Amino acid sequence: MSLLSTREDAMRFIRAIGYLQPAVHKPQHAPYPDEIDHTLFRAYTRSVHDIGGEPDVPIRWEEKEEEQWEANTFATCECLAWRGVWNAEERRRRQNVEIGLTSYLGLPYYGRWLLSAALVLVDKQYVTLTELVNKIDEVKKRHEQKSAR
Amino acid sequence: MSKSQHDRTHHAKKATRKGDPQCFKGEAGPAKFKVGDRVRIKDLPDIFYTRCQIYTRGATGTVVALVYESPAPEDEAWDNTDKPEWFYSVKFRQKDLWPEYHDVYANDTLETEFSERWLEKA
Repeated sequence: MSLLSTREDAMRFIRAIGYLQPAVHKPQHAPYPDEIDHTLFRAYTRSVHDIGGEPDVPIRWEEKEEEQWEANTFATCECLAWRGVWNAEERRRRQNVEIGLTSYLGLPYYGRWLLSAALVLVDKQYVTLTELVNKIDEVKKRHEQKSAR
Repeated sequence: MSKSQHDRTHHAKKATRKGDPQCFKGEAGPAKFKVGDRVRIKDLPDIFYTRCQIYTRGATGTVVALVYESPAPEDEAWDNTDKPEWFYSVKFRQKDLWPEYHDVYANDTLETEFSERWLEKA
């Protein structure tokens, strides 16, 4: 990947963040304490997977087959439980709540599983973030070479 | 309470050949409520992690089953598994949960589970 396209990619990424603000239609940049009442405090600090009863529009329902990476992710997460890295409830805490509202609503279901599996390994010092980042970079480059052929 | 020396396979060992939550059977002590009891859902703080839905807080329902014993989600999510609680299936009238629920569907109900800490006698 050229340096220029890396910069373009970074700028595109920064612009996209602006669209990820949860749809409370007011500025949300580190408000002063007196701008947060009890209701708003609770809305921000609740477990974000507790979504029952929120006003919303109907969503489209689609039948979808499980993809290979999704099945792999599920098996990986189950193995992490079997080997005592986490239990199912800690997995839910990480993938449904600690991931934050924007990511909870915005990422695919198994995308959240996969991210929290990687994070729990870093959090509990099974791998360092440096090792993980280098590995992702290595795999990405290998994949780019393969798809270039 | 630090668990740096915690045996990380403790749960797998406990649940092997039993299953979860069956492996916690008999550890919660006597149940505080029985089938048919009217209970109200407490409004405990819900920071960091809970599975007690906000829409049930303060609502009154009926215990329809004692389902199993297990650590509460708020404990288990940090691997604190030494204080299992009874879990109850509680049935609500939909009209008691949603103010705008239409009278045409007055018989509709909703059933969901709570650990004992969330319930008080109504």
